[in-house]
Amino acid sequence: MVKKILLLLLLLVAMVPSAYAQRTILFATDATWPPMEFVDNNKQVVGYSIDFLKAAAKEAGFKVEFKNTAWDGIFSGLLTGKYDAICSSVSITKKRQKKMDFSEPYFEVRQALVVAKDSNYTRLVDLKGKKVGAQIGTTGYFTIKKADGAIAKSYDEVGLAMEDLKVGRIDAVICDDPVAANFAMIKYHNDLKISAIVKTDKTEYYGFPVVKGNHEVLDLINKGIVAVKTKGIAKKLKEKWIGK
Amino acid sequence: MKKIDIGDGAAIPSPDDKQLLSAWWIAFVGTIALLIALPIYDPDTYGAVLAFIPDGIQVTFEVTILSIALALIIGLITGLGRISENRIFNLLASLYVEVVRGIPLLVQLFYIYFALGRIVQVPDIVAAVIAMSFCYGAYMGEVFRAGIMSIDFGQSEAALAQGFNKAQTMRYVILPQAWRTILPPVGNEFIALLKDTSLVSILAVADILRRGREYAASSFDYFETYTIIALVYLLITLILSKLLAHMEQRLNYYEKR
Amino acid sequence: MKNVDPIIAIHNVTKYYDRFRALNNVSLDIFPGEKVVVLGPSGSGKSTLLRTINQLETIDSGTIIVDEHNLGDPGEDIHKIRMNMGMVFQSFNLYRHKTVLENLTLAPIKLRKMHPDEAKSLAMVLLEKVGISDKAASYPAMLSGGQQQRVAIARALAMEPKIMLFDEPTSALDPEMIGEVLEVMVKLAQEGMTMIVVTHEMGFAREVADKIIFMDGGEIIESETPERFFENPSQERTIKFLEQIL
Repeated sequence: MVKKILLLLLLLVAMVPSAYAQRTILFATDATWPPMEFVDNNKQVVGYSIDFLKAAAKEAGFKVEFKNTAWDGIFSGLLTGKYDAICSSVSITKKRQKKMDFSEPYFEVRQALVVAKDSNYTRLVDLKGKKVGAQIGTTGYFTIKKADGAIAKSYDEVGLAMEDLKVGRIDAVICDDPVAANFAMIKYHNDLKISAIVKTDKTEYYGFPVVKGNHEVLDLINKGIVAVKTKGIAKKLKEKWIGK
Repeated sequence: MKKIDIGDGAAIPSPDDKQLLSAWWIAFVGTIALLIALPIYDPDTYGAVLAFIPDGIQVTFEVTILSIALALIIGLITGLGRISENRIFNLLASLYVEVVRGIPLLVQLFYIYFALGRIVQVPDIVAAVIAMSFCYGAYMGEVFRAGIMSIDFGQSEAALAQGFNKAQTMRYVILPQAWRTILPPVGNEFIALLKDTSLVSILAVADILRRGREYAASSFDYFETYTIIALVYLLITLILSKLLAHMEQRLNYYEKR
Repeated sequence: MKNVDPIIAIHNVTKYYDRFRALNNVSLDIFPGEKVVVLGPSGSGKSTLLRTINQLETIDSGTIIVDEHNLGDPGEDIHKIRMNMGMVFQSFNLYRHKTVLENLTLAPIKLRKMHPDEAKSLAMVLLEKVGISDKAASYPAMLSGGQQQRVAIARALAMEPKIMLFDEPTSALDPEMIGEVLEVMVKLAQEGMTMIVVTHEMGFAREVADKIIFMDGGEIIESETPERFFENPSQERTIKFLEQIL
């Protein structure tokens, strides 16, 4: 028994210095949002947001770990302290800011309207009485809800919405433009197209949310973001993951 | 009366069990009290959730009732197939049961939903109903089989000896009696199916759960949302179980002395 | 009586249950109006023999001809043949979900396409006959064994059969109820019904039977009038059986 305790203590001692040296920040990510964050063929979480954060961590001197989490409930996990922050293409909105603190913006995003290749819908008003899909709790979904007359359908993953659009169960999908581009130009390029960018009142940015008041983590992330932006790393990453 | 034991536990209160009866009343009154009190206590959260989900309740009912109706038909055919002396019919029915029982419901839902999408274009609710009833049809088939086999063989013999053929014997003598044995497990399956319809929210069908999740996703009132959702499901299943217990009692009419 | 054709002709019938030979080369003729009582120890094949007559049991070899229909002929509709044979079971087997009246009217309405009113009035006549018309609206579970068996006889009669088969009709009854059932059967016999009765009721056999069949080991050991069977048995196995039973 004593031996076991000693062994345990030894293990703890061995682990502490590394943890102490560099703060590890645990990020939740819903890796179903290509090309921003998704799981590649090697089962690794990759993407623009991921690379951006890794670069920021290097610059600011902290370590990142990712926890793949379903989007639906990703915020409740943060609020209940299951992880320190979220790296999951989270758009900064007023409503969200009431519940959590956001880092500096790291990406400007627009909402894209994805439709079937042979369809003529180019505006949300064209979709009166039509079914329009989006991932649950995303700005895309809120856009549909705000639009007059379209029937909003929420999906757990944007990919499921794209699949339903492809087989004709719904008439359009609204999601962030890099994701829309990924689906419409690569995966389903035979069936789908981006028909328009939905006009919104305000420019929308991604940020990394942290628990309200967690300045330690927030400061580290912001330090990294600024460095990545000013050193031009962000631009390179954009070319790598999104193209022109 | 022979009891057949299939299903995921006794959801139906037994009419002779006073203890259970009072447990039912406590749960029922408590659920209703909470569903009234919580929205009054905090109209902005509890009240808002409750106001958000009614069309979801309707969808849940639609999926449940259509699925159970279809599952009963599939179940009857499967049950008859499982006891049939026709080799091919029997084999097909058994194969169906084996396959369905070996695959988790959630996987079947996904599979049928997306596979169906590639073949025919049907509304999501229809796809959900097909997937649910396909799965539950197999379980119903086993319930029917057990129910039919629980009827004393003398009943068949008496009918056959009078000149009824097998189909007539089944229709006029066996099935009317089997209903009584089948109803409790069918009732359990019914309630289980109602609860399992929450899985179709994965398929973007706007049932109670999805409506709740949509509400929570924009309001962040997770605790309040799932409290209300749990209470709504509980209230529905409590009412259903009571109705089924009542039906069960009425079907017992001919065994009372 | 024997100058007419038999209504049931059983020839060289053999039946196996797996490897057990239940009937061994059994032959028997039964003539219209004849009352045949089949006796024998349990496991002697007497119930099996009775049940082959309406093909509740199939046979492995031999022929059974009922009312000029060969049961082995695939062209024959066994269901039609069965309509002309009433059967009464040891355990009554009344339709439990039907009232007494409905038990009697179900088959005539569905199989004979009888008008429900006609079926009902016929049923009431029969219930009167078996002395149980006051229970017409009751369910079988509410009746005593003796009452149920009398209803079962009436149910069989409702199809207006030419032949009645009784498979140990009193064996499941409490002793005080046996009399009421036998009384109905005696009455039926007096009306001239062709009856084959498997039973252990020696008094009934002596009183009613035109012919006693004694079976043992799947074979017919003896086929005699009651007088000769009871007073002057010729076979050793018969004597042993009678010693045990009387």
